[in-house]
Amino acid sequence: MIFEKIKRLIADELGIEEDTIELDSDLSEDLGADSLDAVELIMAIEEEFEIEIDDSSAQKIKTVQDIVDYLEDLV
Amino acid sequence: MQPLKLGTHTAPLPLVQGGMGIGVSLSKLASSVANEGGIGVLSAAGLGMLYKGSPHYEENARDGLRQEIRKTRALSSGVLGVNIMVAMTNFADLVEVAIEEEIDVIFAGAGLPLDLPKHLPKNHKTKLVPIVSSARAARIILKKWLQNYDYLPDGFVLEGPLAGGHLGFKKEQIADPSFTLETLLAEVLTVLRPFEEERKQAIPVIVAGGIYTGEDIFRFLQRGAAAVQMATRFVTTHECDADDAFKASYIQANADDIVIIDSPVGLPGRAIDNAYLEDVRQGLKHPFTCPYDCIITCKKEAAPYCITLALLQARKGNFKHGFAFAGANAYRATEVISVKTLIETLKDEYAVAAQSSDPS
Ligand SMILES: Cc1cc2nc3c(=O)[nH]c(=O)nc-3n(C[C@H](O)[C@H](O)[C@H](O)COP(=O)(O)O)c2cc1C
Repeated sequence: MIFEKIKRLIADELGIEEDTIELDSDLSEDLGADSLDAVELIMAIEEEFEIEIDDSSAQKIKTVQDIVDYLEDLV
Repeated sequence: MQPLKLGTHTAPLPLVQGGMGIGVSLSKLASSVANEGGIGVLSAAGLGMLYKGSPHYEENARDGLRQEIRKTRALSSGVLGVNIMVAMTNFADLVEVAIEEEIDVIFAGAGLPLDLPKHLPKNHKTKLVPIVSSARAARIILKKWLQNYDYLPDGFVLEGPLAGGHLGFKKEQIADPSFTLETLLAEVLTVLRPFEEERKQAIPVIVAGGIYTGEDIFRFLQRGAAAVQMATRFVTTHECDADDAFKASYIQANADDIVIIDSPVGLPGRAIDNAYLEDVRQGLKHPFTCPYDCIITCKKEAAPYCITLALLQARKGNFKHGFAFAGANAYRATEVISVKTLIETLKDEYAVAAQSSDPS
């Protein structure tokens, strides 16, 4: 389950509880990620899924759904 | 004082003159500092407004940077750098010009320069020094640069909350004692150590923000910094490239005139208060037509004024239409002196501090 994995990563990176994370959560507005958190999260995803996310795609990522969509498009 | 080594370049003094936009540190200031043994730094910000050879901003910016680098080179054979802000829409363009012109050092801040090494040919003369405000940012850059480019930064500038201009902190962090430059330096050194050991390469840390005397320099070198970067103190020199009225605004300022503003680019900034900024606080707008989309994060539709135009006016001494950026210590200046005198003073103060801390 991509969403479950992502939830765990986000919870780790941001130091928040997994059950506060919904698919439609906005990373900065709902989960409190600042600009450095966002970069670190992308790096963690790259490591976990062994992929490379280019900058322009990374900049479009605003919500948890955006991450899931991006990863689902890859498979 | 030990010299500052950045890769293959060595500056006799561990002193960097911080890049100051718009048009505050150009060829005159940078060459004077380099001639005295420090690293002189041009600011690339807004050069497209100062050089107007072509109707196109990007072209003017490129051309302006090229001409300024050549002018500075003609005036000094010391170590020279350019400061290029990551948040500028033409960042990559300006980096390429600086590399073509074989500048010694590129200082890149106001954003994470995650792709900076991409532009650099192998074994090129130019050294790359990111400007960060936290150990986290330093770690992110280290990881990315090693992972994607196998490149270790040639140094870091660590800019603390007392700096002038745009600040890499949230407003509430600026006065918070857990964000002092001393604390940040210890954190950054801890992050760098394993990378330095693994690669058997030193990563010098240059601290910035509020450094004003030779005693300050001594204190930070004792704490593990390799050098300091100073900007505010260089504004009140004869060689500074801004108008005399700009320098006079520093001399006249009192401590409580130095304020934190919300810049339209989405960061806090430190500036000298004046009627122009008071108008903004009162909710008045200074209407403008955006000359060029210069900063990626600028919210120009909502902005009460254009930061580029305001800084450009101040630089020309026209405070009716602008305001000056300044560090927290700007009010301490009492007179305009030469770069030579300033650096002599810093050396003397440093020697006194070193002597009085020596137990023997
Ligand atoms: C007038 C002024 C303009 C500045 N412009 C820039 C700039 O364009 N880019 C940048 O990275 N830093 C800029 N800075 C920050 C300085 O390079 C420097 O890091 C900082 O001011 C150091 O603190 P100090 O002024 O207390 O010495 C500016 C600072 C001042 C005072």
